[in-house]
Amino acid sequence: MSADRESDLTVTASLDKLQEVRSYIDRTGALLGVNEQALGDLRLAVDEAVTNVILYGYGNAGGNIEIDMHGDGDAVVIRIRDRARAFRPDHVNAPQLDTALKDRPFGGMGIFLIKEMTDAADYLQRPGGGNELRLVKRGAIAADR
Amino acid sequence: MATLNILVGHAEGKVPVTILRIEGDIDASTHKTLQDKAAEVVEAGSKHVLLDLGGVNYMGSAGFRALHAISNMLHADEPPGMLRSTRLKLLNPTDAVARVIKTLGFDVYLDIYKDQDAAVNSF
Repeated sequence: MSADRESDLTVTASLDKLQEVRSYIDRTGALLGVNEQALGDLRLAVDEAVTNVILYGYGNAGGNIEIDMHGDGDAVVIRIRDRARAFRPDHVNAPQLDTALKDRPFGGMGIFLIKEMTDAADYLQRPGGGNELRLVKRGAIAADR
Repeated sequence: MATLNILVGHAEGKVPVTILRIEGDIDASTHKTLQDKAAEVVEAGSKHVLLDLGGVNYMGSAGFRALHAISNMLHADEPPGMLRSTRLKLLNPTDAVARVIKTLGFDVYLDIYKDQDAAVNSF
């Protein structure tokens, strides 16, 4: 475990926990010295990822979600782990950004935002069942810390 | 849990405009509150809606699904292919929210204003 690893957060998979998840990212990001723009990007990416786990992974039927966040040089690494059924965010179609709004299908925006807001979003299936999404945001922490 | 407060106001420009002043975070737990309030004013006869996002610190994809749905409600009588909404506009998004609007390409469809009078008179 790295020296600047902060404590983890475990929440039940319920949409009313999203604000608590965003507060955890804000609080831990402040402790790690994450710059404001990177923190905004990570808040969004994590909120979207956790929303997907709640709605599509667990099918809105509860379960636990574990989140941890640590610094690695100038990067921030966040892991989001669950015991839900396999849900591969990289298998979701991208939204049609060049289509008139009225003609656009709903959906796909959350996954698109996760990819846009991070430098890496790697999906793993956990041994024993469940998913792990590892998000990396580089240049998030000033080098002189 | 996040809460969303929405105040309904009205202004007269070239046409009557309904202003929804939104305060709080728009996420997957609150976006329906916005969508329902918009449906309520549209059913009551509002044809032009300005969303004041000045009090919104966070808006994720659920918020954009709500904007999409509201735009569709207001343009229900129009054929597909409409590129820029003449009936739904945005006021005063924070920098963080404005970045997401741009990332998702919603700035192509929805006009964004900093000044309420300019926004109201643009309808």
